[in-house]
Amino acid sequence: MTTTPRLPEKTERRWLRAVAAVFWFLLPFLLVGAVWELTIRAGWVSSASLPAPSTILRKAWDLSVREGVLWEHLGRSFYRLSIGYALAMGSGLLFGSLLAMNRALREMFSPILSLLISVPTIAWVPVFLITMGLGDSTVIAAVFLGGFFAITYNTIRGIEMVEPSTIRAARTMGARGARLFVSVLLPASSVSVLTGLRLGIGYSWRALVGGEMLSAMVRWGIGKMIYQARFWNDVVAMFVGLLVIGLTGFLLDRLLIRQLERATIERWGMVSER
Amino acid sequence: MTQNIIEIHGVSKQYGKGNRSVVALKDVDLRFHRGEFAVLIGPSGCGKSTMLYLIAGFESPTHGRILLDGNEIREPGPNRGFVFQDYVLFPWKTVLGNVMFGLRRTGVPHREAKQTALQFIEMVHLRGFEHAFPHTLSGGMKQRVGIARALAYDPEVLLMDEPFGALDAQTRKLMQQETAEIWKETGKTVVFVTHSVIEATYLADRVIVMTARPGRVKGIIDVDLPRPRQYTEDHYLHIRQDILGLLEEEIRQSALGTTSTLTP
Repeated sequence: MTTTPRLPEKTERRWLRAVAAVFWFLLPFLLVGAVWELTIRAGWVSSASLPAPSTILRKAWDLSVREGVLWEHLGRSFYRLSIGYALAMGSGLLFGSLLAMNRALREMFSPILSLLISVPTIAWVPVFLITMGLGDSTVIAAVFLGGFFAITYNTIRGIEMVEPSTIRAARTMGARGARLFVSVLLPASSVSVLTGLRLGIGYSWRALVGGEMLSAMVRWGIGKMIYQARFWNDVVAMFVGLLVIGLTGFLLDRLLIRQLERATIERWGMVSER
Repeated sequence: MTQNIIEIHGVSKQYGKGNRSVVALKDVDLRFHRGEFAVLIGPSGCGKSTMLYLIAGFESPTHGRILLDGNEIREPGPNRGFVFQDYVLFPWKTVLGNVMFGLRRTGVPHREAKQTALQFIEMVHLRGFEHAFPHTLSGGMKQRVGIARALAYDPEVLLMDEPFGALDAQTRKLMQQETAEIWKETGKTVVFVTHSVIEATYLADRVIVMTARPGRVKGIIDVDLPRPRQYTEDHYLHIRQDILGLLEEEIRQSALGTTSTLTP
């Protein structure tokens, strides 16, 4: 038997490791921020076109804590994102599964799919503005479309790449039809499906910001916040918007997709733990 | 009286078409008796795994018929259990979940399935690992799950495709001993593919030696040694010599590449 380390020491070490991880994560941001700040303070770049990080952070504080409008913007954006993304997830998984299971359908639809997949989602927005109006539905449709293709495509790939022996094992044990699909094919393709969900939420989030900017009837939303700041020449608010968009995208991945990965493919040992 | 559980009538299996085709099996006639432990052995590429795949229903013969209990085999099904060389466990299911899979799919209610699965987990000495995921287990333990999973839903026949090929020598020996015990305990018909003469002689009632490609039955050797067997008995060594004698010609041939892979 190897000696087990005393518990306090162990927890302390884990704590230290967490602090170190946060430090190394923040370091590049701090470095870039410092150089940026210095550049402005030294007067090499005009602060009218590029505000200093300290100015941006102060504005972020004002918008979020003192005025609170940032939360209203974010709240509306999240509402649209959840609906659009949920639709993309549901239909992407369903459509992807159908195409993966049915060769004739797949051969029929795959050229259309490849064609549509290369059209940037934002290019659809003017069409939606005409067909669905200038409000929420257009933005939600953009969010949906942004996520849909990535999820569909990766679901098809995932199911196609399931090892024949896995299917053979399942069929030998009596799994058929829908059962075979739900209890074997879907979990067996989860690595690829999760890739689709990850890419999908990124695309959805980007489409959301673009859609909000282009939809005239939309008042609130993080994309709209940036767009509106233009009328007041408020470059600082725009940068706050950019910061929030980046941070939210990152957190969506960390808090949603990463946790899903931990609970599934990492727990099952289907990928090496990160 | 021996009753045939599996009958193979004039089976050939050809992969591909035209002059690039490969004949894996040619005109094979075989019977497997109910409750026997049959081992298929032969040089690599002799079609012994193909034979097993045909019985499993993973593939269909090009010519001929395979009957299981008098019914022609057309697809995989739960009257057979299959143990793969590379385990093919479901990584998203625990040991218990893997062993319960076949039971649930064949309509056994959850509680009963769990009880039965636990008995089989106990039988392969994995008690305490019911809730472990496969990736945390060693190769030997994975294959124990593979065996428990294939037996739990009570198939007629257990098909084992070089099940211990990926294991180290010590584990392999242990698994052979346990397989012999499990066979005795369950009374299943087993068709076991291997290229190890020692393994074949230790486990088999009958050793079926196959020829190099195209695969045919070269000879059948009865192993009427008492069980439990010792790896060192005189008789045991004699029988091993007999099998090796048959095999060596074939291995030499397949190594020299003198056998045609083309249909005449």
